[in-house]
Amino acid sequence: MREFITGNEAVAHAVKLCRTPLIAAYPITPQTGIYEKLSEWEASGELKGMMMRTESEHSAMASCISASLTGVRTFTATSSQGLALMHEMLHFAAGCRVPVVMANVNRLLAAPWGFWADQLDSLSQRDTGWIQFYCENGQEALDTVIQSYRIAEQVYLPAMVCLEAFFVSHFMEPVDIPEQEEVDLFLPPFSLPHKFDIERPGFFVPVVPSELYRKYKQMAQASMDSVKEVSLRVDQEFKKMFGRGYGIIEPIMLEDAEVVIVTACSITSTARITIKRLREGGKKVGLLKIRLFRPFPVEAIQNTLKGKRKIAVIDRNLSLGGGGIFCQELRAGMVHSSDHPLIYSYIAGVGGTDVTPEVIEKIAFDATRRNEPSDPPIWVMEE
Amino acid sequence: MKVYAESPELVIPISFESTEVIETGKWGFQKPHTTSMTAPCEEACPAGIPIATFIYLAGEGKFREALEAILKENPFPGVCGRVCFHPCESVCNRNRYDEAVSVNPLERYVFDATMDLSPKPNPAPNTDPKEIAIVGAGPAGLSCAYFLALLGHKVTLFEARKEPGGVLRWGIPDYRLPKQVLKKEIQRILGLGIELKTGVRVGKDLSIEALSQFDAVFLSPGASRGIPLGIEDENLKKIWRGIDFLNRINSGKQVRPGKVVVVIGGGNTAMDVARSARRLGSSVTVAYRRTKKEMPAIEDEIEEAEQEGVRFEFLIQPVKIKLLKNRKIRIKFQRMRLRKSNQEKRPRPIPIKGSFVMMEADRLITAVGEGVDLSWIPQALIEKEFLKPMSSSWNGKTKVFAGGDAIDQHRSVVTAISSGKRAAISIDLSFTEMNPEEVFSKIRVGSKGALSIEAYLRGRESGIWEEPKGVVFYDQINTLFFAPSKRVKKRRIDPGMSLRGFSEVHSGLSSEEAERSALRCFSCGTCNYCYNCYFFCPEGAVTLDPVNRIRTVDFQHCKGCGTCVKACPRNVVEMRREE
Amino acid sequence: MGLPEDQPNLLRPGHSACAGCGLAIGMKLVLQAMGPKTIAVIVPSCEGAIGGVYPNTSYGVPTFHSAFEIAAPTAAGIANALKILGKEEIQVVAFAGDGGTFDIGLQSLSGVAKNNDDILYVCLDNEAYMNTGIQVSSATPSFAWTGTTPRGNPGRKKNIMEIMAAHYNPYSATATIGFPQDLQHKIVKAKGIRGTKFIHLLVPCPTGWRTPPDLSPELSILSVETNIFPLYEVEEGRKYTINHEPRALPVQEYLLRQGRFKHLTKEQIQQIQMEVDEEWEKLKNRARKSFGRRKRGVS
Repeated sequence: MREFITGNEAVAHAVKLCRTPLIAAYPITPQTGIYEKLSEWEASGELKGMMMRTESEHSAMASCISASLTGVRTFTATSSQGLALMHEMLHFAAGCRVPVVMANVNRLLAAPWGFWADQLDSLSQRDTGWIQFYCENGQEALDTVIQSYRIAEQVYLPAMVCLEAFFVSHFMEPVDIPEQEEVDLFLPPFSLPHKFDIERPGFFVPVVPSELYRKYKQMAQASMDSVKEVSLRVDQEFKKMFGRGYGIIEPIMLEDAEVVIVTACSITSTARITIKRLREGGKKVGLLKIRLFRPFPVEAIQNTLKGKRKIAVIDRNLSLGGGGIFCQELRAGMVHSSDHPLIYSYIAGVGGTDVTPEVIEKIAFDATRRNEPSDPPIWVMEE
Repeated sequence: MKVYAESPELVIPISFESTEVIETGKWGFQKPHTTSMTAPCEEACPAGIPIATFIYLAGEGKFREALEAILKENPFPGVCGRVCFHPCESVCNRNRYDEAVSVNPLERYVFDATMDLSPKPNPAPNTDPKEIAIVGAGPAGLSCAYFLALLGHKVTLFEARKEPGGVLRWGIPDYRLPKQVLKKEIQRILGLGIELKTGVRVGKDLSIEALSQFDAVFLSPGASRGIPLGIEDENLKKIWRGIDFLNRINSGKQVRPGKVVVVIGGGNTAMDVARSARRLGSSVTVAYRRTKKEMPAIEDEIEEAEQEGVRFEFLIQPVKIKLLKNRKIRIKFQRMRLRKSNQEKRPRPIPIKGSFVMMEADRLITAVGEGVDLSWIPQALIEKEFLKPMSSSWNGKTKVFAGGDAIDQHRSVVTAISSGKRAAISIDLSFTEMNPEEVFSKIRVGSKGALSIEAYLRGRESGIWEEPKGVVFYDQINTLFFAPSKRVKKRRIDPGMSLRGFSEVHSGLSSEEAERSALRCFSCGTCNYCYNCYFFCPEGAVTLDPVNRIRTVDFQHCKGCGTCVKACPRNVVEMRREE
Repeated sequence: MGLPEDQPNLLRPGHSACAGCGLAIGMKLVLQAMGPKTIAVIVPSCEGAIGGVYPNTSYGVPTFHSAFEIAAPTAAGIANALKILGKEEIQVVAFAGDGGTFDIGLQSLSGVAKNNDDILYVCLDNEAYMNTGIQVSSATPSFAWTGTTPRGNPGRKKNIMEIMAAHYNPYSATATIGFPQDLQHKIVKAKGIRGTKFIHLLVPCPTGWRTPPDLSPELSILSVETNIFPLYEVEEGRKYTINHEPRALPVQEYLLRQGRFKHLTKEQIQQIQMEVDEEWEKLKNRARKSFGRRKRGVS
């Protein structure tokens, strides 16, 4: 079924299709579309589930974690300040190894205030142990939510599906909504080995000695590592069933590229057009889309960028004092590359500023021009 | 690094093992122990009844068990529940908090509630039972017989009159002690296999020498001789001895004391006489030579006499009686005053010279004390201290003991019972090598003279004598755990109604009142399963088994915090340092 | 006989509560009345310490050690999940301390009460942050010594029952360990009610209140008998029922037995007495004005 819907609605559809019976949420612009759509379906009975209208995002995540440990599939959505408020609980969810799936609408963090797209909110949670996907459009967001449940419930780690404020969340486009029967086939029923059990009462996540804490973190690390392979497999199965696949990274026109632009989310859509134009103009430019951010697909990126000497990472975020976060991660992943590529960090779109084809062209020209390494981030403004 | 139990499904740490393996008992240096203490009421009761125990059982609705608990130490719960002067209530610790516990009404209630039951106390096994004779089937004699039977001996009880009971049968009127109550109690006692021979007067129908065929003899002839006033003309027909008056009424004979009756005396007999005369239609005045405060009668009796219209005249003593032509008598009384004396307990009445008062009456009934009839004992034996509590062996073989009103002790039903018990134990001991004083010091209940025959039986069987228990005083009771409450007021029949006959005056407690009264008992020194120690132990280390009456503390986990000691309202737990 | 005290003890010995800990007594009584078909949520506080260190636990029911300020929504998540799974016969109880209820947990508790999620919330009130030493909380009474108010607490204890009453939740009640049957009776009653139930459970703390370890039940009783902590229930924020007729002892009987109050001046005691009397009058008025007034005696 094909419908003309916003990114938020698409996410809501995915949640409904996954038969998620417990949704705890708190409203925040620009996530409210997801929350309201699900509430509408709960009222009409279309959504066979229970919404918990909590008093804060922190409590919403708390409820999702405990409900998950009781044995039901859960979902929440938030953005920006809400995600920041949830921070303590994000660590807790990963520590409890619960497969909660959350949609985060990337919105800038105050202060000062604004509602515009910026990825710093979810990226500054990259240490919390959540799987993170960055989606280019509403269709991808819908599909990624479904995939995330499958992945999360296999590795027992929570997953975050990110979509940009307004550029994706409120943008309407034709979206293929899968059939319920197909999703039922794709997504097995919820199961969790470490559920509460009345017959065998245990004290869940007690105080542990240091060595044991380390051991459980090692186990979690191994699970997180496996996500690279698991999500690739899941994506391939998804493609087989639904006809759409995304990979964990996507190379576009990379074969003989002298400069590789690296993007994530909606900037990728703009970049696809820009790269085509530049190619038509004779420029040897390529594009790499990063979809899976946590775990950072180091091996896949190293393989894909073999032989590439110039990489320009576009970040719609800024870690003060650290630079663009995608760039940081990529630089760290490429540190052992024998090609010693020059990796430039371009900051564009912070605070929701528009990243137009012209901006991307500017970046491509700038990267082409440079021949020396440059560590600090380079700000690119629109005219 | 420790190796923890691996389980394939463990994705997050979950503790499944119990903390019980951790011996937190090692934290502390002291542990609680159950004490063994006596309540002051139990000490004050001459019979040493386990009061806290029977009240606890009554509060639980276990009336049969409550009765059996009393019967272990007192064969007359029904009688005492009606006529005892309840020294227990005077010393009740609850007195100092709000009001005493209703021990006496509860004893009565236990008897009344088990009227349909006939529990048979079990005599202890005895490999060498002796043959004991008892002279006089009053409360002392019947009690001695009962306890001797419990000790496994063969008892023959001789009673001069045609029915047993002594003062219970022939002295106390029906409205205080109904005959069917006494009958049931005596039936229960005799049911132990005691042989009763009524209508046998020792010294007349049976010679004293005949008693020598027994291994031991207990003499409890009672005090049935009314003491004369000691004034002239006192043998007129118009003057009756109170004891005889009561005897005739209790024999079912028709008695007509006359319209106007004067009673001399201030004790229970005087009250019984006065109130009985009222019921027979007389207007009654009681003349006593001291004041109301010094009257030895039970306060309730005095109050009820007043309510029933008995008038009282104090500080007068009769000095002369004259028979008048109209067949009445005129009594001349000397006015008295009290002189406090440092040597004597009670102030002395001193005649006020020249001050007299006259009264006219149809009858004068005296109740100034009862003496013991010694006419049946040869003088030689009296000189040999025949009638004394402890053993005097009169023919070199038969040991002789005595008790009840016939010996020099406080005169009351429960004291008589107590002397019967003491004699029974003394008799049993006399056939052993054991020293009675030593044994008594071990089986005593408190320090006021009461003895426990249960403790005696346990010691006799095991050879181990437990140390007697200390008494719990008021400052050892944690009153914080008790809400203040008033005791149930005694209910009496309206005096106008009660005077119409000799029916019982007190109606006893209702079942709801009995439960309420029982719950007021502090249960000093005896665990009554209030569950405080169980509830308040932070470790959950206390286990209670009210059915088998066991209390255990898990020392492996008890940290010795002492909460159970403080939280026990009745001093049943104490801390002891561990070695 | 079907009484809670006949049921198994679900707080197993061997836990590391201080000797004489009133909180341990409280949890023990509550868990016993809850029964084994219960999932419990506890937070970092003394109850976390009592829970034990891996691999041993003193809790006899499945227990989840959640974060500090979210006992209520954690429990609500479990309750709703159980509803979805059709396992509503399993009860959910959230335990939090006074800090986790009056301070940092107040917001999340309010949110849950607003939604009327089906949980029993028990606030174990020892009147300060005791697990982390002895620091003042909004439940600390006036003038009390704590580590962070060494000259006496300048604040006044919040009235958490009134805060809860403002949420119109179906059932709230005060309780304390000195009246164990009253406490267990209220737990059993709460189990039979759907919605958010709140129990304000006063638990004396020998360590923090500076008292000998054996006085917790007595202090608890005195708190009620001096009207400092009356025993009452509130239904739907409007029906007030007083459960115990207090002896109205003067507040000194309670205060001066505790080291944390021994520095109190006469004026301070008078002020406390005045405040206590005023609150007691207010409570009596509310109880009088409630329709369907029922009074239950407590032995």
